[in-house]
Amino acid sequence: MTTPNTTTGAGTPPVTTKDLFAENPRWCAGCGDFGILASLKKFLIERQLRPEMTVNISGIGCSSRAPNYFNTYGAHSIHGRAIPVALGVALARPDLNLFVHSGDGDAMSIGGNHLLHGINKNFKCVFLMYDNEIYALTKNQTSPTTRKGHPTFTQPQGSFLNPLNPLTVVLGLGASFVASSADWIPDHLTDTIKAGFDHPGFAFIHIAQRCTHFDAGNFDHKTSDWFSFLKHANGIEPDKRLANKAELVNHDPSDMGTAFKLAASDRRYFGLFYQDRNKPRYDQVLRDLVANAPKKDRAKLLDAYNI
Amino acid sequence: MSVEKRSVTRFELLMDAGFGAQKAGDILLAAFVAMGEYVYVEPMIPAEISPPIRTPFALSGIIIRLADFDITNIGNDTDLILASHEVVLDRRLNDREYNKKCTILLDTGDREKSPATYDAVLKRCADEGLAVTLFDIDAPSKEILGEISGKGRNLFYLGMLSYIYSMDEAIVKDEIENALGKKFNPELKTKNISLYHNGYQLAKGLGLVRYKVEASPRQGEKILIDGNTSLSMGIIDAGFKLFSGYPITPASSVMHNLARELPSYGGCVHQAEDEIAAIGVAIGAYYSGVPAITATSGPGLSLKQEFIGYAQSAEIPLVVIDVQRGGPSTGMPTKTEQSDLTPAVFGSHGDHTKVVISVSNVIDCFYAPHLARYLTEKLRVPVIIMSDFQTANSYKVITKPKIVNMNNVDEIPDFILERFHIRRLPDNIEMVRLNQSLPGTPGQMRRVTGLNTNAQGQITTSSASSQRGHQVRNEKVHHVRRALTTPELFGPAANDILVVGWGSTRGALEEAIGLAEKQGIKASGMHLRVVYPLPLSLKDVFAKYKKIVTVEVAYGDGLKPSPLALLLRSETLADIKPLIAEATGRPVRPKVILERIKEALQ
Ligand code: SF4
Repeated sequence: MTTPNTTTGAGTPPVTTKDLFAENPRWCAGCGDFGILASLKKFLIERQLRPEMTVNISGIGCSSRAPNYFNTYGAHSIHGRAIPVALGVALARPDLNLFVHSGDGDAMSIGGNHLLHGINKNFKCVFLMYDNEIYALTKNQTSPTTRKGHPTFTQPQGSFLNPLNPLTVVLGLGASFVASSADWIPDHLTDTIKAGFDHPGFAFIHIAQRCTHFDAGNFDHKTSDWFSFLKHANGIEPDKRLANKAELVNHDPSDMGTAFKLAASDRRYFGLFYQDRNKPRYDQVLRDLVANAPKKDRAKLLDAYNI
Repeated sequence: MSVEKRSVTRFELLMDAGFGAQKAGDILLAAFVAMGEYVYVEPMIPAEISPPIRTPFALSGIIIRLADFDITNIGNDTDLILASHEVVLDRRLNDREYNKKCTILLDTGDREKSPATYDAVLKRCADEGLAVTLFDIDAPSKEILGEISGKGRNLFYLGMLSYIYSMDEAIVKDEIENALGKKFNPELKTKNISLYHNGYQLAKGLGLVRYKVEASPRQGEKILIDGNTSLSMGIIDAGFKLFSGYPITPASSVMHNLARELPSYGGCVHQAEDEIAAIGVAIGAYYSGVPAITATSGPGLSLKQEFIGYAQSAEIPLVVIDVQRGGPSTGMPTKTEQSDLTPAVFGSHGDHTKVVISVSNVIDCFYAPHLARYLTEKLRVPVIIMSDFQTANSYKVITKPKIVNMNNVDEIPDFILERFHIRRLPDNIEMVRLNQSLPGTPGQMRRVTGLNTNAQGQITTSSASSQRGHQVRNEKVHHVRRALTTPELFGPAANDILVVGWGSTRGALEEAIGLAEKQGIKASGMHLRVVYPLPLSLKDVFAKYKKIVTVEVAYGDGLKPSPLALLLRSETLADIKPLIAEATGRPVRPKVILERIKEALQ
């Protein structure tokens, strides 16, 4: 196998929306996934990332179909296991731009162990958690983030427990980049992806995602009094359209204590909770290890076992 | 004192874990090799790290088979056992691997701790007709042992064995110094050497029979290596650049070796958070164009099955090593077995399309990664390499394998293909998806998925595309089926009985057929290196034998065929029954195969 030459298309025409079109998504009309798809495409075009240099990796679920809808490289893997596949790509090909797409069931339930270790390894990727607070593709079961009391087919009496809070979970795990946005605020979401892409490590982006089919009431996208934007010179710009309608809260993303308090509160905040650019990157550590290892000659491979 | 010449002999050293039996084995091995003798070593390792001493679970020992010819297996039974106390001796006698003339040397140092059990075990030996020589470590040695908290007994026993096996003391001392290392405290070193010397003298004083195996000097470059190390070096030589694994006995030492060595050859080792992640990382790397490999044992193979199926469906190359151990479930992690054949071949849900190859000895271990990489890149189906505890841990002197330095799979040399009884595959093999380009290739962007797709890679549930996907994937494996030549045969191509084995049973099988031929028994043997798919010629080959049986370290009985028998029956419709299908955790023995052949022919 030979790795292709990866010169990033100097002299080639600019990347357009048309170039990124693969096929029409098979999501329900009104699904929040469309907004996320559009925001990521918008970012890829703004940044002019060559489609052949982008790899989207996902697990299983409605949202995990996303890689199929980008005319880039991609792997739609198995349930909960996007992170290991993505790490394999990151270790093999640091030249590629890596995006991981995972739902709340995929990331917080079946793939919880991988999220824990992906965050700890802090390998370079943008991790997009599409949180629609339900198992949708399997048709309406309680997920780790389903709100208490919400009826589903598996807990028809109303979901039994308080949901897991993905933001406090990942902050507790020591994530080096924790941001939150929503599918219906495209400018903010694009800016969040941008900040995540520029982060030198594992960028965890939580996205509130509407599921019109199974839980039309999960997020009220028409009003803006139930959330606030986090604002800071080192943070992410509040959404241009909603900046004067929603509350703005100053928050320094280097302040872990406040980040945790905000994440744990009942109110929703969109923006950058926390960032640490200096956390060591496992992929980089391994590459340095290989680069610095004393070189050995393959022709002498077995000489150490001579008798 | 008389010295008896032997062409082949086998002895054992039995101790409590943590007292250096394995270390003593390493030194003996190196010294025998230095003396030009052929050795085959099998360690007996407890499933725990340091179980309570003087319990049956603490048994840590070493079996050494010594010969004046190249040996392929650990042999039949033991001629001499040296045991540090009665409990480990009693435990090992249960395995019934001693012969009638077996000599037992029993250290009576622990007798006062439990005279009753000593007497019981001595009575057992007498009842079984075994000659026991009791000995007591001499007073000066006991004093040294007291000073170093008993951790030198192994050297004392090593001294005794050196005397008995007519070893050159200078060579052994050299090897002891090598084993202790340059940085070892000189005072302690002197004490250890004294223990060795005292052991030698004690054995001399006991008036024991000495043995001598005289080997003629060997031709060509030789190396001394164990199965898992050979496999690790083969992985490097085959050009793999990423190893991704999770700790599991008895596969872990592959990861240990590569963690140390692979970076020096431009690759890296990833220790994953679990077995599933380990295979996922390998898949991600291979998808991106970097040859990657993972290794595991039984429980890990179960955990990896979903991803193995994904690699088939998404057409991503993948190599998985399964170093088998006793099962089911956690089973016996430090014992050998061959029961993973069926999960390897048929595992993962839905239809199965993969290739399963096996290693029969430490040389195969070196070349299997090359073949696996060749097959997986040509076919884009998973390839599983089956080893087992026995092969993984057996040390052997072998002719130095040829370094291939494979960078591209088309460079695979014919001799490796021939070794595994397979021809080169056709150049153009149809894939489910027409586009198989690697990330970074402009204008060829593509997405892979575990969902059913059409030839353009689009997700679809159409009947035609599903049927075509199955057909194309299976055709890839049929290419292998057609490329396979007749498997290795021992003895005539037509006979009264054919004994079929795979993987690590090869050595015992070959030796058993050799013994049968000498005795005029009309038995032949067949060994399979590629276990799935099977060659198309198999049915015709089988037709030449009156009876076909299998030898397996796996369970089977009158109502349930053992895994290999099951596979062969289903492929050939021949009435194949197991000759030996036992999951005892111990390797099969040549003489036992021979006895069963005789019974089967009556
Ligand atoms: S079920 Fe919900 S999440 Fe799935 S596509 Fe429909 S709206 Fe989107």
